[in-house]
Amino acid sequence: MEFLSSICPPEILCQILVGLSRATILFIVASGLTLILGVLRVPNIAHGSLYMIGAFIAFGVSKWFGGGTTGFWMAVVLAPFAVALISLVVERGIFARLYEREHLMLLLLTFSLALILGDLVKMVWGGEYRTVQLPGYFKGPIPVASLPIPIYNLFLVVVGPAVALGLWLLANKTKIGKISRAAAVDREMVGAVGINVSWVFATVFAIGCFLAGMGGALVSPIVNITLGMDHTLIMEAFLIVIIGGLGNVWGALLGALIFGLTQSLGILIWPQFGIVFPYAAVVTVLIFRPTGLLKSTW
Amino acid sequence: MIKNIHGKESWLVPILFVLLLIFPLVLTRFYIYLLALIFVSGLPAMSLNLVLGYGGIYQFHHAAFYGVGAYGAALTITKLGCSPWIGFLVGPLLAALLSLIMGAICVRLSKLYFGMLQISLGSLVWAIVYRWYSFTGGDDGIHGVLMPDLIASTTGSYYFTLLVTTACLVAMYVIVKSPFGSALQGIRDNPVRSEAVGVNVKLHQLVALVVAGFFAGVAGVLFVVVDNSVFPDMLFWTLSLEILIMCLLGGCLTFLGPMLGAAMMVALRTFASTFTEYWTLIQGIILMLVIIFLPEGVLGYVNAKFKQLGDATSGGKT
Amino acid sequence: MKNEMIIGMSAVLLGFLAASFSFGADTIKVGIIDTYTGPATAYTFDVLDGFKMAINKVNATGGVLGEKIEFVTRDEKFKPDIGLAMAKELVLKENVDLLMGTINSATALAVSDFAKKEKIPFFVTFSKSDKITGEQGHGYVFQITENTLMAGRAAAFALAKKPFVKYWIAGDDYEYGHAIADGLWTQLKKLKPAVQLLGQSWWKVGETDFTPYITAILAAKPDFIIVATGGSGMVNFQKAAKATGLAQKVPFYQHTAIELSTLEPQGLDAPEGVYGTANYLFYYPDTPENKAFVQEFRKTFNRYPKIGALYGYVTGMLIEKGFAKAGKVDKEKFINAMQGMVIDSPVGKLELRACDHQLMLPMFFGVTKKVPSHPFLIASDIVTIQAKDYMPLCEEIKALRK
Repeated sequence: MEFLSSICPPEILCQILVGLSRATILFIVASGLTLILGVLRVPNIAHGSLYMIGAFIAFGVSKWFGGGTTGFWMAVVLAPFAVALISLVVERGIFARLYEREHLMLLLLTFSLALILGDLVKMVWGGEYRTVQLPGYFKGPIPVASLPIPIYNLFLVVVGPAVALGLWLLANKTKIGKISRAAAVDREMVGAVGINVSWVFATVFAIGCFLAGMGGALVSPIVNITLGMDHTLIMEAFLIVIIGGLGNVWGALLGALIFGLTQSLGILIWPQFGIVFPYAAVVTVLIFRPTGLLKSTW
Repeated sequence: MIKNIHGKESWLVPILFVLLLIFPLVLTRFYIYLLALIFVSGLPAMSLNLVLGYGGIYQFHHAAFYGVGAYGAALTITKLGCSPWIGFLVGPLLAALLSLIMGAICVRLSKLYFGMLQISLGSLVWAIVYRWYSFTGGDDGIHGVLMPDLIASTTGSYYFTLLVTTACLVAMYVIVKSPFGSALQGIRDNPVRSEAVGVNVKLHQLVALVVAGFFAGVAGVLFVVVDNSVFPDMLFWTLSLEILIMCLLGGCLTFLGPMLGAAMMVALRTFASTFTEYWTLIQGIILMLVIIFLPEGVLGYVNAKFKQLGDATSGGKT
Repeated sequence: MKNEMIIGMSAVLLGFLAASFSFGADTIKVGIIDTYTGPATAYTFDVLDGFKMAINKVNATGGVLGEKIEFVTRDEKFKPDIGLAMAKELVLKENVDLLMGTINSATALAVSDFAKKEKIPFFVTFSKSDKITGEQGHGYVFQITENTLMAGRAAAFALAKKPFVKYWIAGDDYEYGHAIADGLWTQLKKLKPAVQLLGQSWWKVGETDFTPYITAILAAKPDFIIVATGGSGMVNFQKAAKATGLAQKVPFYQHTAIELSTLEPQGLDAPEGVYGTANYLFYYPDTPENKAFVQEFRKTFNRYPKIGALYGYVTGMLIEKGFAKAGKVDKEKFINAMQGMVIDSPVGKLELRACDHQLMLPMFFGVTKKVPSHPFLIASDIVTIQAKDYMPLCEEIKALRK
């Protein structure tokens, strides 16, 4: 990898790679959020809670399989499905009757759900810090141009585009994808041609929450799994969705990239005020393109 | 559609006021404090409703003005050493100023986008207060802010809060019933038509925002009077969400709904927490039930019931 | 349907209002405000359990002055305005004799101010702001835990003896992080003027991805990094350190890096070679008192005691001894009895200093290391720094409080 350092300084290369791995998690969670926002018109504040549940379930699954390699892969595969199942139950039980309500009410509904889920997680798993073990081949760093990059972060950099590709295929090449895109723009018309809009919504909601759970599961080995992780992420996810364009998955990708990279590169320039950069980027985008960078479905 | 507040029941309001005046004579200190806290929490909700319920503006970061009002007062008193009465004026004026600046930036946008930009800007204010600990005390906040002896005690702060809150509510009621208020509601219902009949939509909205910001700042000052402290949490977006919930819980289409919502939230929090540490769960459940079954909020529902009763007794006239 | 629901809800609400927990008639009532939700929970349950253990012992022998010690808890959810309101509720409605808590420094400062007004003793069990016993200290507040100034100074005391010269400072961008870093650096520069500060990095509280910061710091090539993280950030940073192999490239220090709360969740995956300070280690010193404490705690709660357990336990002991010495359940007599109070704790004799009401705890400085005897890392090469060597002097406190 040495030739890369001749193209650009090692610190910048490192920061770019790390920023990309950060963007992956942000993208996965934000894409789920933007799907739900775009098709169902529901601002899902409980999305952060589902991300947290994904991480905790990953912990539980990993422990059940005795940790290590099996534990990790089983967790990463099973946790998103578990979260999708939970969300489906909630959607059918509560949301399905309320889609005609105003956005504000739906926002508050998901907020109350977030409050409930937060306390439920505490009841089930308690307050202790948890962690998920990584398989041996993911542990430790790889030297990239003389600076260490954790192997797992590089894995995430690959996963991100894979998920994006998967979503694109789903949206454009499958029947459900095309129907969902139509429903996002005009749900009445879709209903008029005889498609059960309610089930379309259920599916999209489940997929969106699946993504939240996946984000939580993927982040579980490198992060402290704790109560309150829902709060930190939900704000960032919403900001990304807004700057990307409501309902636009590519927008979510773009937003996540901007967020992740401005932060990791900003640190090089001004490490004392690293906090400021992503928020400054958001405010800038919103002032010049208030409806988001890419086309929204609203 | 704005329901006529109370209508036949408007005699309830002065009675309530008299009751509130004599409560301190019979209640223990704690309940006096609790009532004062309800007013302090309800006033931001009421001022939010000015722009949200009556104006249809998605004010997502109202707490910013509440917090700035509180910090303005606290900093004037502690850092500049001014008399508290001056601090009480500085707070709301600063809040109104911030509202003007933020409003001017955001008012070009509508609905959700307005809300999100406001959250971003408001968060910037929060970040400044949080980080500048040499001046604002950072995340430790500021404590022990001195109050004039007259209003320093529990009862004293209660009466001060009651009087100021009542004055603000009266002012808000007058504004809502004025031609300005009607124009604002017209803009909420149909901005295009309002523009067409010559109403300057953006200007009206901006004025409403500044007024709402001012009253939120007053509420912030009252918090300092009652609790003698300020915390950066007062500027955080989760508080804005709570204020929004109070509005909707009580009913944002009624005048006093938000105050009722605030009373419910504070009471719930205070009493549920004596029983269980899972009081957010209880809060979430109750909130969800209200949203599902009482979409007009609690007061909205009560009003509808009264109206039904009224129609029934007057022989079914609609 | 709607009507039944309304009636039901109203009944529940009225039920709340009517019913109210009331203490037994002749008991000493302690009101505990703390955060039992969110990341702080990992610490605060230990404080509660340690306290419970202490007062259960006291109550088993009939209590103190013939009265049992009872307590209630309130969860402030890390929100200072709620914490303050709860403190007022406990004092004005529940009529508690003492207040105890919390992990949130802003709450602690606000409650401390309230305690001063109401003339009620307040024991701070986990908040680390040095303002509590420093510039905003007074006669009614007692600090059981160490504060940021003390932690920083203790670390400086130990680091001044090490060969490192070029330092980098990094941490959580809030009061706690900056206070520890400032406390440490000011003292270190005093003890060893040759040290240089190459730069600083500060990230938002709750940051989960430290890799970009670590790589940026490594590029600057310091000898040593002072990492001022707290709470959840402790584990997150150590995970990133392990993933990048930081400790082997450039050694770093964190306050509480060697403490069980930080090391236990990571199991054997925690990084080795990390420097840290802590006020309590369940395996050191290996004295009979410490062993007995650990054994009893494990038997009762089925886990090893973390630092919070010591704070809670000591608070319980102090309350008992304070009233016993006062001879009466009277707040003013209790305050007088507490001046310079000494107790026998699991870590030896501890004195509650009279000039500022700060508990004089020993500080342990060590390095993380894997051992075959435990499924998590422990501290090795432990150096004990006595309280008198790192606490601010009484004259300094007096000057601050002017």
